[in-house]
Amino acid sequence: MNAHSDTAHHEGKNYLNHERGLWSWLTTTDHKRIGLLYLYSILTFFLAGGVFALLMRTELARAGADIIQNPEVYNVYFTLHGVLMIFMFIVPGIPATMGNFLLPLMIGAKDVAFPRLNLFSWYIYVIGAVMAGFALIHPPDTGWTFYAPYSIKSGSSVVLMTAAAFVLGFSSILTGLNFIVTIHKLRAPGMTWFRLPVFVWGTYATAVIQTLATPVVGMTLVLLLMERVMGVGVFNPDLGGDPVLFEHLFWFYSHPVVYIMVLPAFGVIGEIIPVFSRKPLFGYKAVVFASVAIAGVSFIVWAHHMFVAGISDTAAKVFSILTFGVAIPTAVKVFNWVSTMYKGSITFATPMLYAIAFVFLFMIAGTTGIYLATLATDVFYHDTYFVVAHFHYTIQGGAVIGLIAALHFWFPKMSGKMYNETLAKIAFVLVVVGFNLTFLPQFVLGMEGMPRRYYDYPPEFQTLHTISTIGAFINGIGYTWALLNLAFAALFGKVKAPANPFNSLSLEWQTSSPPPHENFHTVPEVTDYPYAYGRPLSYENH
Amino acid sequence: MFRYLPEQASDFAHKVDWINNLITDISVFFTVAIVGSMIAFAIIWRKRDGKDHETPRIEGSHFLEAVWTIVPTIISIYVAAYGYVIFDEMRDIPEDAPTVNVTGQMWRWDFLYPNGKKTTGELVVPVDEPVKLLMTSRDVLHSFFIPAMRVKMDVIPKQFTSLWFRPVKTGEYRVFCTEYCGRDHSSMLASLRVLSKADYERWLNDRSDEAKAARMKPADLGKELYTQKGCNACHSLDGSRLVGPSFLKLYGKEEALADGTTVKVDENYLSSSITNPNAQIVAGFPPNMMPSFAGQVTDDELFAMIEFIKSIEEPQQAAPAAVVQEDAAALAAMSPEQRGKRIYETKLCITCHSLDGSPLVGPTFKGLYGKSGKLADGSTYVADEEYIRNSVYDPASKVVEGFAPAMPSFQGQLSEEDVKDLIEFLKTVK
Repeated sequence: MNAHSDTAHHEGKNYLNHERGLWSWLTTTDHKRIGLLYLYSILTFFLAGGVFALLMRTELARAGADIIQNPEVYNVYFTLHGVLMIFMFIVPGIPATMGNFLLPLMIGAKDVAFPRLNLFSWYIYVIGAVMAGFALIHPPDTGWTFYAPYSIKSGSSVVLMTAAAFVLGFSSILTGLNFIVTIHKLRAPGMTWFRLPVFVWGTYATAVIQTLATPVVGMTLVLLLMERVMGVGVFNPDLGGDPVLFEHLFWFYSHPVVYIMVLPAFGVIGEIIPVFSRKPLFGYKAVVFASVAIAGVSFIVWAHHMFVAGISDTAAKVFSILTFGVAIPTAVKVFNWVSTMYKGSITFATPMLYAIAFVFLFMIAGTTGIYLATLATDVFYHDTYFVVAHFHYTIQGGAVIGLIAALHFWFPKMSGKMYNETLAKIAFVLVVVGFNLTFLPQFVLGMEGMPRRYYDYPPEFQTLHTISTIGAFINGIGYTWALLNLAFAALFGKVKAPANPFNSLSLEWQTSSPPPHENFHTVPEVTDYPYAYGRPLSYENH
Repeated sequence: MFRYLPEQASDFAHKVDWINNLITDISVFFTVAIVGSMIAFAIIWRKRDGKDHETPRIEGSHFLEAVWTIVPTIISIYVAAYGYVIFDEMRDIPEDAPTVNVTGQMWRWDFLYPNGKKTTGELVVPVDEPVKLLMTSRDVLHSFFIPAMRVKMDVIPKQFTSLWFRPVKTGEYRVFCTEYCGRDHSSMLASLRVLSKADYERWLNDRSDEAKAARMKPADLGKELYTQKGCNACHSLDGSRLVGPSFLKLYGKEEALADGTTVKVDENYLSSSITNPNAQIVAGFPPNMMPSFAGQVTDDELFAMIEFIKSIEEPQQAAPAAVVQEDAAALAAMSPEQRGKRIYETKLCITCHSLDGSPLVGPTFKGLYGKSGKLADGSTYVADEEYIRNSVYDPASKVVEGFAPAMPSFQGQLSEEDVKDLIEFLKTVK
C-alpha cells in the first residue's frame, strides 16, 4: 500500500485528548469515541451476562438443588443470561465497537456518513438497556426466545423486556444503515471495492443483515406485545392464533442474527492472519464472496430451528438442504485462512494466538453444525445440550474470541499504549482451556440425551456437568484477566504504541496511534489492496 | 471415536446412529486435517531468530479453491441426502400402528390408550409393534423426547403433532420434555415401559382400578389406594406404630419433625409427604424408607388419599376395603392352594411380595418355598413351613438381608388354618 503515512504529525493531539470531560464524550460525534462508548457499554453487559452464566453453572455442578432452591430463579437466570448476552452484548458486539472505530479509518474516511445518527444509535441502545434494567424488577422467565404461548401466559415483565429488545433493534438498524452508506460513499480515492479490507466486507455483509432482518423481529415483538396487552390472538392458540408462527417470525431474524455476530469476527481473523504470517490473504476474492454468500444464505435457513416444531416434513427437508448451503462458504473461509499461513513468517503475538484458536474452535462449531442440519440426527439433538455447546462454539468460540482478538490487535491503535504481552498470553491460555472444558462435555451430554434449560437432571449426567462448571470458572477468570490487563494498560500503561507496531499494510495503521480526531491529516490515496505482503517485503519499502 | 448415543431401542435407532457416526468421522477427519495443517504451518514457518524470512506472494489458487468448494459440496449433499432418507422413514407412520394419545400439561404427561385406559407419567407399549403417538398440549409448548427411541416432537396447544416408533427391546426408558415450559420444566419427566406382547395385553386390559375409581367418593378411592399402593405396609389405621406414623387422627395433628421443627398436618403437608416424603420426616421415624410417589399418583389420586387420611377419626381394621366376604361354603369347596391365593390377594401380601421374581418392599414369593438365604442379622434361613408361619405372625424377628423390617404382624388376622393354605399356595409359585 502506498498510502502516505502521516505518523508523527501533530504529536500530542489525538481523538482521546482533543476535547476533555464527560460532556465531550456524551456529545461526541466522533466514530472512534462512539466505538469506545459502545465498548464500555457492551462489556458491562458481558460481565453481567457472565455472572448469570456462572450462577447457573454453579447450580448445575451437582444434581439436585444447590445454591438455587427455586427452579423459577434458575429459569430467570438463563433468560437474563441469554437476553443480556444476545441483545446487549454480542449483537452490537463487534460491529458497534470495532466497526465504529475501524470502518472510517480502514476506508480512509474522516467519519461515518451520519455522525449524529451514529451517536443517536448509541443513545437508543442506552434507552433499551435502561428499559431492560427496569424489567429486572420482575425479571422474565421465558428464555431469550420469548416463545408463545408461554410468553403470553408468564406473569413476569415480558412486556417491558420485549419492548427493550424492540428498542435495541433500532440501534442495530441505524448502525447498519450508517455503515452501508459510509462504505458506498466515503471510500478514499483509489479505495475500490476489491481493495477493501475483509473486515470492512464482513461489516458490510453484517450491516445488510442488520437493516433487513431486524425490522422483522421488531414486528414480531410488537405483535407479542399486542397479544399480551390487547389479546389480539396472533400467536395465542386460545384465541385462534398460531404459536408456530411466532417461531417462524422469531427465527427469521434470529437465525441471520448469528451471522451479525460472526461475520465481523470472520473479518477480524482475515485481518490478523496475513499480518502475523507476512503473507497475502489467500484467495481474497473468495473470502469476500463467501461473506456475501453467507449473508445471503442466512435469510433462507431459519426453519432449521424448527425441524421438530410441527412444520411440514416437506418444509423440513427443504430447509435442511438449504442449511447445508451455509457450510460451503464457511469451509472456503477456513481453508483460505489456513492456506494464508503456508510458507509465511509466522509470529505468535496474542492476536495471532486468538486467531489460531478461533480456527480450531470454529472447526468444531462448523462440523457440529452438520449434525443439526441433518434431519435424522437433528430430531435427536434438537433442544439438548448438544445445541447449547454448538451455539457457544459458534458465538463464544467465534464472535467473542473474534472480539477479544480484535481488542488485542487494535488496542495499540485505540489507546496509543502497548499491553503486557505475557499477561495477555496467560489469559489466552485460561480462556481457551476454560472454554473447551466448559463446552466439550456439553456435546457429550447432548449425545447422551440431556435436555437444555433444565434446572435439575438425572444423576447419570453429573460428572460431565461438574467438569463443565469447573471449565466455566476458568473461562470466566480468563476473560476477566484479559480485559483487566487491557484496562490496566490503557489507564496506567507506560509503553507508548508506535503508529504501526505489527507492520500492517492496512490504512488504519498508517495514521498515528491513537489517531487524530479527523483520522488522517491528509486524505490518503490507495493504490493496492491491503494484503500485499510477501516478496518483495513491501512493508519495508515505506 | 466419540460414540455416546444412548442404547438403540427402536428399529430406526441404528440408522440414525449410522448417519450420526458418519458425520462424527467426517468431522474428526477434517478437524484434525485442517487444525493439524495449521499447527504444522505455524511450527514449520515460524519466524526464526527475530528476523522475517522472505515469504512468497501467493494470492490464491483457483484450482485449490475449486477443490475446497466442490469437496464440501459433495459431502454435504451426501450427508443431507441420507439424513433426508432416514428422516422420511422416521416420519412415515405405518397405517396399522395403534394410536396412543399424549397430552402435555405443565408439568406432566397424560396417556390415553386405544381401549380408553389412561395413565399419567408412564407410557406403556408392546415390544416389536409400531406405536403412533398423537400429541397435543393443554397449555403451552412442550416437546416429547425419548432418547433411546431417537424420537422427538413438539407438543402444541390446539394442534396435533405425531410421531411413531417400533421398540425392539423390553425395558424402561426415560422421557423428557425438551421445550421449555415454565417453572418445573426439568421435572416434566415420564417413563416409557416396553412390555412383551402378552404382558402388554394383560396390562392394557386390566382396568379394574379406574372403573371402580370413577364411581367412588374421593375418600373411598383413597381407601382403595391405601392398599393398592402399599401404604398399609407402613401406616396403620388403628394407631399402632409400624414403619411410618399411623394415619389415625393424623390430620390436624401437630407433629414434631426430625429436624427439631414442628409442622401442622394439613393438606399441604400430606401432599408433600406423598410426593417428597424425605423432606419432612416425623421425629422418631427413619428417613429414606418411603419412596416418592411423585409421578406415580395423579392429582385426583393425591386428593383422594388426603381425603381418606382426613377421614380416619376412629381406629379401623387394617384393610377393610379389600376384604371380600366370601361365602363360607364357597371357601370350603376351594382347594387349599386356591384359598391361599385368595389370602395372598385379599390380605395384601400382594402389595409387597411379587409372584414374578421382582423384589418389591419384601422378597418375591416366586420360588420362595424351600429356598435358603441370609438374614439381616447374618444368620441363615430355610423357607420351610415353620419359617413362613413365623414370618406371618412375627415378621420383625427374621428379616431377609437387604429388606426393611416393614411388614406388620398378621397375628389375629390370619388363623393357623389360613397360614397352612397360604403355604400350600406358596408351594405352587415356582
